[in-house]
Amino acid sequence: MKVQATDWLLLSPELFLTAAGMILLASSVFVGKAKEELFGFLSVLMLGITGVLLVFVSTMPERAHGPILGGMFVVDNFALFFKFLVLLAMVLTVLASVRFVGEAPYPGGEYYALVVFSGVGMFFMASGSNLISIYVALELMALASYVLAGYFKGEIKSTEAALKYFILGAFSSAVLLYGLSLVYGLGGKMGLADLARLYTGTQRTNAIALGILMILAGLLFKIAAVPFHLWTPDVYEGSPTPVTAFFSVGPKVAAYAIFARIFYVAFPKFQADWGLIVALVAAATMIWGNLAALLQTNVKRMFAYSSIAHAGYALLGVLGFQTKFGMWGVLVYLLAYTLMNFGAFALIIFLEAKGYAAESVSDFDGLAKRNMPAAVVMLLFLLSLAGIPPTAGFIGKYYLFTAAMDAGYAWLAIIAVLASAVSLFYYFRIAAAMFFTDGVSAKIPVSYALTAAVIICAVGTLVIGVAPESVLDVLHRCVPSKY
Amino acid sequence: MGAAEAAGSALLTGVAGWLFVGFALLILGTAIAVVWSKNPVHSALFLLASFLLVACVFILEEAEFVGAVQILVYAGGIMVLFLFVIMLVHQRTAAGTPAFQHQWDIALLLLPVFLIPFLYILGTEKFTDIARNPDAFRAVAGRVIGNTEAVSWLMFRDYLLPFEVASVFLLVAMIGAVVLGKRSFEKVD
Amino acid sequence: MKDLLWLVPLFPLAGFLVNGVLYLISHRTRGEAADAHGSQGAPALAAAPAPSVHGENPAHTHAGSSAHDPAGHSPIPLKTAHTVVGTVSVGLSCVFAFLAILDVGIGRLSEGAAHVVTLYRWLPLGVNQAVGQVHGPAGEWFVDAAFRLDSLSALMIAFVTFVGFLIHVYSVGYMGHEEGYGRYFAYLNLFMFSMLLLVLGANFLLLFVGWEGVGLCSYLLIGYFYDRDAAADAGKKAFVVNRIGDFGFILGIFGIFSLFGSLDFGKVFPAAAAHPSAYAPYLTLVCLCLFVGACGKSAQFPLYVWLPDAMAGPTPVSALIHAATMVTAGVYMVARCNVLFRLSPDALLVVAVVGGFTALFAATIGVAQNDIKKVLAYSTVSQLGYMFLACGVGAFVAGMFHVMTHAFFKACLFLGSGSVIHALGGEQDIRKMGGLASKIPVTYRTFLVATLAIAGVPLLAGFFSKDAILAAAFEAHFASAPWLGRVLWAAALFTAGLTAFYMLRLVSLTFWGKFRGGTEQEAQIHESPRSMTVPLIVLAFLSVVGGYVGIPMVRGGDRIGEFLHPILLPLAGAGAHTAAHEAAASTEALLMAASVAAAAIGLALAYVWYAKGEGAVPARIAARFPGVYRAVSNKYYVDEAYDSVFVQGLAKGGGRFLWDFDATVVDGAVNGTRHVTVGLSWLSSFFDQYVVDGLVNGVANTLQAGFRGFRRAQTGRVQNYALVMGGGLFCLVAVYLLFR
Repeated sequence: MKVQATDWLLLSPELFLTAAGMILLASSVFVGKAKEELFGFLSVLMLGITGVLLVFVSTMPERAHGPILGGMFVVDNFALFFKFLVLLAMVLTVLASVRFVGEAPYPGGEYYALVVFSGVGMFFMASGSNLISIYVALELMALASYVLAGYFKGEIKSTEAALKYFILGAFSSAVLLYGLSLVYGLGGKMGLADLARLYTGTQRTNAIALGILMILAGLLFKIAAVPFHLWTPDVYEGSPTPVTAFFSVGPKVAAYAIFARIFYVAFPKFQADWGLIVALVAAATMIWGNLAALLQTNVKRMFAYSSIAHAGYALLGVLGFQTKFGMWGVLVYLLAYTLMNFGAFALIIFLEAKGYAAESVSDFDGLAKRNMPAAVVMLLFLLSLAGIPPTAGFIGKYYLFTAAMDAGYAWLAIIAVLASAVSLFYYFRIAAAMFFTDGVSAKIPVSYALTAAVIICAVGTLVIGVAPESVLDVLHRCVPSKY
Repeated sequence: MGAAEAAGSALLTGVAGWLFVGFALLILGTAIAVVWSKNPVHSALFLLASFLLVACVFILEEAEFVGAVQILVYAGGIMVLFLFVIMLVHQRTAAGTPAFQHQWDIALLLLPVFLIPFLYILGTEKFTDIARNPDAFRAVAGRVIGNTEAVSWLMFRDYLLPFEVASVFLLVAMIGAVVLGKRSFEKVD
Repeated sequence: MKDLLWLVPLFPLAGFLVNGVLYLISHRTRGEAADAHGSQGAPALAAAPAPSVHGENPAHTHAGSSAHDPAGHSPIPLKTAHTVVGTVSVGLSCVFAFLAILDVGIGRLSEGAAHVVTLYRWLPLGVNQAVGQVHGPAGEWFVDAAFRLDSLSALMIAFVTFVGFLIHVYSVGYMGHEEGYGRYFAYLNLFMFSMLLLVLGANFLLLFVGWEGVGLCSYLLIGYFYDRDAAADAGKKAFVVNRIGDFGFILGIFGIFSLFGSLDFGKVFPAAAAHPSAYAPYLTLVCLCLFVGACGKSAQFPLYVWLPDAMAGPTPVSALIHAATMVTAGVYMVARCNVLFRLSPDALLVVAVVGGFTALFAATIGVAQNDIKKVLAYSTVSQLGYMFLACGVGAFVAGMFHVMTHAFFKACLFLGSGSVIHALGGEQDIRKMGGLASKIPVTYRTFLVATLAIAGVPLLAGFFSKDAILAAAFEAHFASAPWLGRVLWAAALFTAGLTAFYMLRLVSLTFWGKFRGGTEQEAQIHESPRSMTVPLIVLAFLSVVGGYVGIPMVRGGDRIGEFLHPILLPLAGAGAHTAAHEAAASTEALLMAASVAAAAIGLALAYVWYAKGEGAVPARIAARFPGVYRAVSNKYYVDEAYDSVFVQGLAKGGGRFLWDFDATVVDGAVNGTRHVTVGLSWLSSFFDQYVVDGLVNGVANTLQAGFRGFRRAQTGRVQNYALVMGGGLFCLVAVYLLFR
């Protein structure tokens, strides 16, 4: 293995982000609690620089030479797309956290550092082209997430969420690791491209399939698909709300990155083995997620189930990865999902300001009267989540469902349409509460950072819905390369 | 070390084979004992035994370096820390709780069922035609090298990136432990 | 001018944006001012909006002046600005619509010219890849944001913008005192934008955007008076029922895309017409899916239940959305897809039967309603059934003709009823009206004209379009059921009689006889302001002359038929078996006589029973057949059955299931009906006992048990979660082993 100077340049966003985490950590020694907002601005600044580095990396011609550092790390368009998406999720999380964490009696520096370190893990996941680098990066992301879930340690729910997340996450990691070891032990290879060359499909055996299925199970846990989703509602409910918002997009998106890459690059020849299973899981996920969301009265739990259902929709794209719309649809949908889901969570956080907590649906009562712009924007996110045109969610679903139809899963597409029709009922409960109910007329304080996050999400949701052509063209070039 | 290929294929024959079976059964037994015993100190000691036995299997497989690391890090470092923690926290609180929650009967019932497909696959699978290409045993630059050296080549050259990511991982684990373990809920000024 | 077609929907959109921003600003300023100075918020109002209104808008000058205007003592901020923005934007849209139509040329449109204005590429779908089973157009796939002006959309935008403009003007008077005046106009403008998008969209996806948009506006406007429970519930109901329809519609769109590889009207329909045999086998399913969508939007059985409840919205909204425009979107869509439907006789048969049944079914309910708006609502459902019947028997042109005439007279009727309600200070029960003819003469005369038009009195608008439908039904030939055409004709004829009957009943109870309300109320009855009566007069005039574009039997008289003829693309190699047959002149004259007779009988009966007999005969009939009467006046208990099964059943099962539904309301309703009906008639008791009870108990219990199990799954115990995950892994491997 030869390491070239440009390799370090290709790694620069990750290196800088790691350094940023440590800077945040170190600076927390010097910044008092009165000036904790500084961490937020510092984090946004750091993330902005990371974004610049990412843009710089995207212009480097050396990217095309394939994986670097011994086949561990690849910087293709696919990886860059996910890094930008993760970066977006982190920026939004930081913006949404500024006031929320500032008001809570817990130190802020470590909080932002953990968000950043979690992002480092996601960056490496997006670029991972070897099972071992993917696994280590996954664990880095997960570990930071466990701590973030329990960050409000004075609240029993938060601690409970962290514990559940950790125990079940360890369980799923064990399953994933066992699958990885089977695949490695049977072939002696860890690189995704090597695996694809090794397993050409002629030597499909039960043992390899078992390894693949266990990898599948481990990844399905991360994206919260049925029946590996049970941790989601508890963790989403218990975690501090900005962290929940982060969980609902960041780790999920990163998990989809490795999911898509592993199954697209390494095991495409095994689709006969995993295709039906993923299809059944997708159907179960969409149905269960949407039905269970109907029963929830707690908004965070409702959105937990909603995010489960959305994970199910995106599985349609993974299933149809051989068709034109498959991977494209996954990318479009994840971008749309990040914007609209985070937007909805940002409004939950908005209402959750001091003295007025958005826990139950009835907390949205009469929002239209109290703050019409907030209600209108929330309506936009809800419509987008439900897949009503002309919003980003509709465009994403359109591509995914078309992919499923093209791949011969028409029955699954029908279930998906039905499920998203059902989903409107619970999104709609919030809309009805906002517009058709009278609530208390408490003043809602405005946080500028949070408002910025909401505006980013709203503009994105609308632009991708109304004039998506250029965005879609860019995403079309981001389907993974066969490394 | 040069006879790695030959040794690998002859692993389960002769004395080494019987030793492996013996170690494996002992590992299983001690692992069950870890879960079974009500006294946490006993559990920790059984876990220690289990780790040592795993190290024995590593050595039996001619992976001396990993075996040594297993003893040094797990048995020596982590387990001692475990024992310290267990003895420091009030032991009574842990002793009163049952070792198993009420679902153990269901679990016992379901376990064999869950195992069926896995056992079926692993039992019916023919592993003969799979390429044996373990990265850890090989010649570097035309020269046959030792186990420890091979591991270091792997770790600091081929798998440098995961190794470094793992160091960030440990850093995060440390931050997490400090954040969650700090006694005060108040902000530090 | 035709290239400025995009301005037609753009004006209402701009109106929506300006009105919305104005409303938000005034709303927030007022809130803050109210906080600061108690009720003295006026000075802040005047100052706030001025800097933020964009200079290029004509409303700018009014924004300031309205607030300063001492005469405008109304508490509604920026009222003049809202009025001007709201009405002028739709008015301009109407002007541009007619200019665009004239620019393309009516003659050229009727020769099949279609003018497509492409704004930009909306969805790039990459390069074609062999997917569909049958040959589709090759090359690049994409969906454009494009508008299409052909004869069908020209007809639609002409009456949508014109009627829309009249109703906007009417709203100025009607909604003048309501809270949230600006919000109302913002919603109404947004509705106009969505409706024009629906009509002008050049592909199914844009049609769908408009489709969802009008649904959203409808929902917001039905729930406009959300402090009334009924309004909020009705909004929810409309939304829920429409979801079922949309589900079918989007499946149909996906089906079309996978069949044709395109969603563009200009590609799909010619392709289908050119290769009928290749596509026909798949089209029945696609058409049925589309028709489910149409049923939801156009309130056909069994998805009609939301429309009567939707009357809880403001009356101009009922006129615009729930009578004249939005609810005809389903008919428009079916007419737009006539090529596909004509290739599937089975789908056409379903459309015809559902339409015919709905027409009759809703008309019978309309006979026994006592709420002025409910009568009109069931009448709308019934008339929409007529339109689908026309489409189902292949007479798409007649269906669209009826869409247009119906828009005129039904809008007039609704606006008239609004004027009545306005005059009576909110009273809607016709049993408490009577004798209003002399007190509000303009309203009375226009209402009467529209009533006669809908009843099918010769030489008024409804007569011509209804007659075209009846003739088409009589001549229809269904290969699988040759007798069906005559049955449908008989049903439609009977419906015509019923329509005449209940409409004149409405007129006589409302306007004739003596006033049956209180004397205080009587003293306050007043004619509506000019802004309300002028639209009434215009619409009444159109109800009279609107039919003369489609005179039957006269050479060159059926101008609308010629105009719309291009939408009926000729099918390759087929003798177009479902196209409307030209009836012989003698038959047509006989049919016309029959429909006139049916209308005459209906009118005469209503006159004799209600105007002369003070309702004694109907009361006797009701007493004689209590079961039948109860069933009819309770709308055949369909709502109760739906509530019990879908709403209460699920609500009981899942706690606060679909929404926070007040279960006691449903319980009370169901129980109340039960107590009254016990022992009265075997019909209703049978219904209660076996259908309602059975459904309630059976379904509710089943669901309840199911959901209990469902909830238990989420117990909160980590061990259980781990167990389920282990079981999940087991299932994964087991499925693999079983199906590999």
